[in-house]
Amino acid sequence: MAVAWIGDRDVPVAQAAKHAAGLLVSSLSPVFSFDTDVHGTRAAIALAERVGAAYDHIGGEALARETALFTDRGGMFIAPGETRRRADVVVIAGSLPAHHHEFVGKLASTIPDLGGGASRQFFLIGAETRAAYLSKVKPTRLAVTGSDVGGTLAAVRAQCAGRAVAEPVSNFERFAKALAEAKFPVFLFCGQSLDLPGLEMLQGLIADINRKSRASALHLPASESGWGSTLASTWMTGFPMRTGFGRGMPELDSWRFDVARMLAAGEADLHLWVSAKTSVSVAKGVSTIALTKGKKPVAGAAVTISIGEPGVDRDAVAWSSRIGTLAAVKAQAATDLPDAASVLRLIAEHLPDGKALPC
Amino acid sequence: MLTRIKGGEIVDPVNGRLGKGDLWIEDEAIVEAPAGRRADRTIDATGCVVMAGAIDIHSHIGGGNVNTARLLLPEHHAAHAQRPAETPLSNAGWSTFQTGCLYAKMGFTTVVEPAMSPGSALHTHLELADIPIIDKATLAILGNDDFLLSMIRDKASSQMIEDYVAWTVGSSRALGVKVINAGAAAAFKENVRTFSLDDVVPSYGVSSRKIVKTLQAAVTTLGIPHPLHVHCNNLGAPGAADTAAATIAAAEGVPLHLAHLQFYGYGTEGKRRFSSEGARLAELVNSTPEVTIDIGQVMFGQTVTISSDVMRQFTSRGTASPKKTVIFDGDGNGGGIVPYRYRDDFYGSVQWAIGLELFLLINDPWRVFFTTDHPNGAPFTAYPDLFALLMSRDARNAAAANLSQKALALSTLGSIDREYTFEEIAIMTRAAPAKLLGLKDRGHLGAGALADVAVYRKGKDIAQMFREAAFVIKNGDVVVEDGAIKNYRWGRALRLNPPPDKAMVRRLEAYYQERYGLSLDWFDFPDSAIRRDEPFGEVSCNA
Ligand SMILES: [Zn+2]
Repeated sequence: MAVAWIGDRDVPVAQAAKHAAGLLVSSLSPVFSFDTDVHGTRAAIALAERVGAAYDHIGGEALARETALFTDRGGMFIAPGETRRRADVVVIAGSLPAHHHEFVGKLASTIPDLGGGASRQFFLIGAETRAAYLSKVKPTRLAVTGSDVGGTLAAVRAQCAGRAVAEPVSNFERFAKALAEAKFPVFLFCGQSLDLPGLEMLQGLIADINRKSRASALHLPASESGWGSTLASTWMTGFPMRTGFGRGMPELDSWRFDVARMLAAGEADLHLWVSAKTSVSVAKGVSTIALTKGKKPVAGAAVTISIGEPGVDRDAVAWSSRIGTLAAVKAQAATDLPDAASVLRLIAEHLPDGKALPC
Repeated sequence: MLTRIKGGEIVDPVNGRLGKGDLWIEDEAIVEAPAGRRADRTIDATGCVVMAGAIDIHSHIGGGNVNTARLLLPEHHAAHAQRPAETPLSNAGWSTFQTGCLYAKMGFTTVVEPAMSPGSALHTHLELADIPIIDKATLAILGNDDFLLSMIRDKASSQMIEDYVAWTVGSSRALGVKVINAGAAAAFKENVRTFSLDDVVPSYGVSSRKIVKTLQAAVTTLGIPHPLHVHCNNLGAPGAADTAAATIAAAEGVPLHLAHLQFYGYGTEGKRRFSSEGARLAELVNSTPEVTIDIGQVMFGQTVTISSDVMRQFTSRGTASPKKTVIFDGDGNGGGIVPYRYRDDFYGSVQWAIGLELFLLINDPWRVFFTTDHPNGAPFTAYPDLFALLMSRDARNAAAANLSQKALALSTLGSIDREYTFEEIAIMTRAAPAKLLGLKDRGHLGAGALADVAVYRKGKDIAQMFREAAFVIKNGDVVVEDGAIKNYRWGRALRLNPPPDKAMVRRLEAYYQERYGLSLDWFDFPDSAIRRDEPFGEVSCNA
């Protein structure tokens, strides 16, 4: 089975890697976007440094908001295990992506065993939809007519502080009573359904509660691979994602190095795409190197190299929201497809200085 | 390859070698001067001091909380000027890559990350594996985890507790055990806001003292070379000296290491009710031979405090500068990140003076360790200036002249004449740390030792001498020359590997299934997950 192509001509992987290296060298403004595990990320960032590229996560909007919560404000957070064991009030702030529904379901089918809470009550802030996963959870809905999640959060915070609000929050009395009796309320949040002011408002509410009692927030990332990559980027460069090496040293700029924006604005002449899960749509006038999992070359790509999926074809290290940290993941059905890191290292070996990547 | 370091002033207290001479290295090890053989490479150390590579026993260089601090403070490391990229990612500000290079340039070859949450050991080791050149090690945090507190409450046998400690150390690939404000993080989750040595954790009925004593006993019985590493209660509080004194007394003849003692050296004298108890604590350490301490010296400027003492960090969040913090309730300790600027005002001056009093009034350099609790008291890049303060009374007096005289009047610092000698520096930063951690292969320059060597060019400017080593050799490779990185290599994380008790593994598996709905496998990882050749180096337990 062919695993590498230059245009639509299948070639040995080494030859494709060499061609990719040539394109990277001649590019004036290369950009990388990836959705890969920690080791794929490490290799991609090391290569980005070598060729002066900017890098971002694929579909990194929600991730950028979650990142901004940390870089701009910080907050109070709790581990998923402690949430399961202590949370007697669980508040879902907005809606949560599907990959977190199983965990929320587990919360609904268990009760706290630490801290003295005897049962678990659920509240839902602002979300309009009654998603299927919530049927088991049976949350009490807190909403303000005509307000989005952020607006409702602001009203909840104001009412908790005893301030007057124009439009009261539905079921607030019940929520206030639950909070007053709670040992450890935990707010579940994700950058997908909250903007930065909403994320900050939630943290403001939690800070208010912590003046007298305890509460915290469980971060359920919009993208698990995205959060894993954020951590690796942060230790490697000092910065989370949307970082660029155009001037040699890493620079963080969540607007300037938004790779989708750069491509749309014609600011990039080369796009390196790394994802075994999704395929790239090639932008006009941008020479594209696609590291993706497929049996065919990507239409319009200058180079396509087939890679294995982390945790499926290859062992991987990835963020796990179930444990709130990085986990080693065994390949579900190991194949011979190379992982992203080894392909990226191979490309680097064909760069003019010939040095191995440090990752 | 045979290397001769020629004509330097050798400072090797362990082997009683002090004075001008040659040092020979073959491949990775130090060797006796070989008769009748020519060196393949000769390093001219004329005018230089030659010591073993330095060992830092307590520096927060990697892991979840450290990385969260980076995430919180991009501005902290954004202002780096561009330099030629001599090594990969060397232009990255506060990164793992830079950490290894900066330590190596100062002649440090082994650094211990003292606060690894066992549940996120993989993350910590991945970061450490991206710190080049130096060797690393970790201490695993216990003492706020439900499993241990429940065992103590339920009066589990000491054997069972030892099995759990051994499993934790082994599975997390740690070199020792640390307890951080024992019981306080668990109590904070139940809304307790202050916690002292004889306070009791709600829901468990177990005192902080009991947790410390239980872990101290387990560490000792298991033959873990490094004594239990204790971060006491009440860090930073005026009057914390009483807590430190009580903890020192609680050693009761069994080895105990107290971390960053400076942060407990606070009395309640004076108008501001904040004064130095440095002399008192130093006297206590002097008279308690089973106790070792490190300092956690404060140096002035911007830094960030990173601590798994979540209760303390929560309490101090109002002092954050810039005004943003992270407080994390983790599975055991969690932690907190509070950026902080040490000013040369009254409070900062008291803290600075206490650290130096402890350094200078504790007589035995084998029992006092050189740390700033990086980055809590100051970033480790302040070490060269701190060496100068210890080795020169004039340097201290010059620095003190710019500080709060009211503060200094409340300390004994001005009356202390002591200046550290090179021999004492070599003990404090090489020989003693190796002994304390059980690293027999380093910390000295005897035949058979690992060829980790630092060569410093002697000069009037002590700080400059330690800032940019003339040569640094790691495992026989010249990695630094004239303060610049010459050779990039990957060190290892040093770890103990006590065999897991099968019954304990079964208990833990059942516990994780029942309480977290997860298999224990989630928290385990193969060495191959690190993706470096030989990521770990094994250290043996005492017989
Ligand atoms: Zn520390």
